[in-house]
Amino acid sequence: MMAGTSDARRQTGSEVDLVLLWSALVLLMMGMVMVYSASIATAEAAAATGHQPAYYLVRHGVFLSVALVAAAFAFQVPLSAWQQLAPWLFVAGFALLVLVLVPGIGRDVNGARRWLSLGVANLQPSELMKLFAVLYAADYTVRKMEYMGDLKKAFLPLAAALVAVGILLLKEPDFGAFVVIISVAIGILFLGGMRARLFAVLIVLLIAAFAVLIVVSPYRRDRIFGFMDPWTDAFGRGYQLSHALIAFGRGEFLGVGLGASIEKLFYLPEAHTDFLLAVIAEELGFAGVLSVIVLMGLVVQRAFVIGRQAVALERLYPALVAQGVGMWLGVQGFINMGVNMGLLPTKGLTLPLMSFGGSGMVANCVALAVLLRVDWENRQVMRGVKL
Amino acid sequence: MRFKGRILHKFTESPVLELRLPAWRSRLMALVIFCCFGALIGRSFYLQIINTDFLQEKGESRYRRDLEISASRGRVSDRNGDVLAISTPMKSVWAIPADARLDPQQTKQLAGLLEADAKELSHKLNSDKNFVFLQRQIPPDIADQITALKLPGIGQDKEYRRYYPTGEMTAHIVGFTGVDDKGLEGVELAYQSQLLGRNGSRSVIKDRRGQIVEDVGSIKPPQDGKDIQLALDSKIQYLAYSHLKQAITDSKAKAGGAIVADARTGEILALANWPTYNPNNRDHLSGAQLRNRAVTDTFEPGSTLKPFTIALALEKGKVRFNTIIDTAPGKLVIGQATITDSQAHGPLTVAQVIQKSSNVGAAKIAATLPAQEMWGMFDGLGFGQAPHLGFPGEVGGRLRPWKTWRPIEQATMSYGHGISVSLMQLVRAYTVFARDGDLIPLSLTRAGPQRVGGTPVFSQETARELRAMLEMVVQPGGTAPKAQIPGYRVAGKTGTAHKLEGGQYADKYLSSFIGFAPASDPRLIVAVMIDEPGIAKHYGGDLAAPVFSLVMGGALRTLGIPPDAPLQVANGADAPAAKGKL
Repeated sequence: MMAGTSDARRQTGSEVDLVLLWSALVLLMMGMVMVYSASIATAEAAAATGHQPAYYLVRHGVFLSVALVAAAFAFQVPLSAWQQLAPWLFVAGFALLVLVLVPGIGRDVNGARRWLSLGVANLQPSELMKLFAVLYAADYTVRKMEYMGDLKKAFLPLAAALVAVGILLLKEPDFGAFVVIISVAIGILFLGGMRARLFAVLIVLLIAAFAVLIVVSPYRRDRIFGFMDPWTDAFGRGYQLSHALIAFGRGEFLGVGLGASIEKLFYLPEAHTDFLLAVIAEELGFAGVLSVIVLMGLVVQRAFVIGRQAVALERLYPALVAQGVGMWLGVQGFINMGVNMGLLPTKGLTLPLMSFGGSGMVANCVALAVLLRVDWENRQVMRGVKL
Repeated sequence: MRFKGRILHKFTESPVLELRLPAWRSRLMALVIFCCFGALIGRSFYLQIINTDFLQEKGESRYRRDLEISASRGRVSDRNGDVLAISTPMKSVWAIPADARLDPQQTKQLAGLLEADAKELSHKLNSDKNFVFLQRQIPPDIADQITALKLPGIGQDKEYRRYYPTGEMTAHIVGFTGVDDKGLEGVELAYQSQLLGRNGSRSVIKDRRGQIVEDVGSIKPPQDGKDIQLALDSKIQYLAYSHLKQAITDSKAKAGGAIVADARTGEILALANWPTYNPNNRDHLSGAQLRNRAVTDTFEPGSTLKPFTIALALEKGKVRFNTIIDTAPGKLVIGQATITDSQAHGPLTVAQVIQKSSNVGAAKIAATLPAQEMWGMFDGLGFGQAPHLGFPGEVGGRLRPWKTWRPIEQATMSYGHGISVSLMQLVRAYTVFARDGDLIPLSLTRAGPQRVGGTPVFSQETARELRAMLEMVVQPGGTAPKAQIPGYRVAGKTGTAHKLEGGQYADKYLSSFIGFAPASDPRLIVAVMIDEPGIAKHYGGDLAAPVFSLVMGGALRTLGIPPDAPLQVANGADAPAAKGKL
């Protein structure tokens, strides 16, 4: 659908970055297969799903279709339009984050209020906010580019906005989204040329802030300790992680085979969402995990390459958006996979492009479409087309 | 590419741009992310390739379970293949408390099916153990109903329940098992190692709800236990059991026992005791019911021992068949003790001493024998030694060393006091008369059809003379005419022993009869013992002899053994039946 926008100059090269496109498509397809495999047993056993084995597969397929349609539309939107929309999207996202906290509107699941009910499906504003934050932070950075050396003018306004968003996210709580949005926004500022020394101070401050958060909140401290050594309390705090690690250990080089996971048989909670990689690791082995990491790495790498091409073309906003998308997928992917492998403390973050979840899927696909749009526009500019 | 070159050229010449979006920052950022991804690859490699054994072990400890496949215990059958003990499949119901989260309604349902107390059940389900048995030996239909409830964390294993079709009739001989197929009594205990099967095992992976996902490794099949075929004949056992029970009920006796043995092979064809119990339902069992008296209880046998003393005297040439012994006046004083007969007989032949069962006569004959020789004979007959049938609790009785014997003791021993034996030992000893003087071992299991060779104790002549004397016992003038069997010649001996209580002879009796038939060529030995009859007619000839007659007669006919005596009985009803057998 994206390549279909052009019929000319087919011989001189493709219209979009095929490596990026195919990497993303393979991840999406592989994700769908693995969501089905990971959820089949729990879906069949649960009364809430009506004992339908394909319950999650069907929904994932619908989400993916919606996401691809949304992506097709997003691809049609020029970056200039995204830039104009960015502040409004950010405000809209902020409003949704407020709305989700209003009792009676936000849906409470497992002690977290992250969802807005849309009747047929649930909307998770924090997922959309990740995209809006990228679009807005890039716009902000471009606008403030001349003052990048100035703490007050360059940093504080965005910092204030981020603190407000951060407070809302922690209220839900959605610590994972909080980490992703803050780090991606800061990353965009860094790429935008903010003074290195300021950046260093900021990093120190951020680390300190996280540390305080973790010490103050017992719920997060528990998660931290569980991650440090899952085997000391393997049936309590370390339960989920220990089972994820066992899944990895069982996979070996080539896995136990698609569909043959034991861990997904009620042992590993959230197998089709946050811990999808563990099921991949068990069923497809090191080869499967390596494929996911490499494909994810390719997506990130293409995002940065496209971003730098945009810089070279003096297209600053698209450059920052492209790299912002790259950082977002990279950071979230790293955190999710790190959590699965016990490198990072457990937090609720899905594996981008793969895990089950409608809002995240739509946000990820739209972000990729915007990235492809940047690339497409780059190519148009290089061909001398005036945008 | 032409355009690109131009732009790149322009880019390098634009210091403003370089300041605004420095490429190194982008490269640095990408590098940081790739390093993170590299760390993921490294970590994944470590978990999946290097640390995999540790993790798999952890995994197996959580979902690999070794299951036992129960082996079936061997069957116990009688000599004709009729089943005496068989294992029927049952289920045991267990729970993994951590997974068994039942609501009160479910707990109540389960308790109802298990016939257990709901409170106790929920206590078990809330225990902090990894595994608890809720109930064992659940019938298959109840087990299916429990399965249908689909309760989490509740599982079942196959096991077996031992069933005894012949129930209390063969309880003492077959015995019974406890849980886990452990033989506790009788043959079940004696042949435990043969009967017990070896459980097989299989390793399985279970999902968290206890469902088996797959087998891992090879399955070790169960090895069923070996079947045991006893020498017992159910029909003869029934005769022995029912007639003994009737006699004990009629005589208001405390207890009793009966044994039927094959004189040629030493096989035990029947072994009955009263009181007995139902091995299929062992609630409220008392020790008295459990006792296999014929094997585990010793008693002073009384007059049934006289023939051995006489036989030894004949063997040593001290007396002959018709030697006259003066038993008048029915009393004999030895030291400070006096031996009495139940009535005074006057002069008696040696054969008559047996026939009339004269204590005085036996004591006088015993006085001619050296203590050492008497001891040697008793020892040779197996008194003082357990019969080694393999039964639990077999006793050897009491036979004191001859050097400690005083004359009065030697005298009383000649008629069966001051020595104790079990009924089983007595049967073994009587094989010397039923055969031509040799003692054969008894056997619970089937022996071959061939005639077993024994250990000679007496000569053939002595054995035959004793058989003639023992035949006189059941003839008119003997102590046990009631032991007669129409159509067969019978030989045997009564015993009526005073029971010892706290070292004193009390006014309680143990009435017995042991004999064999057909006397012309003995095939069966039957011994009957009735303990503490509650009626005045307590003599062996009155109480035990009729039981002997009924059991022996029935057994002879059951086995189709040809009669050896002309039909001269008053009881006309028996005559055609006996003729029919011819």
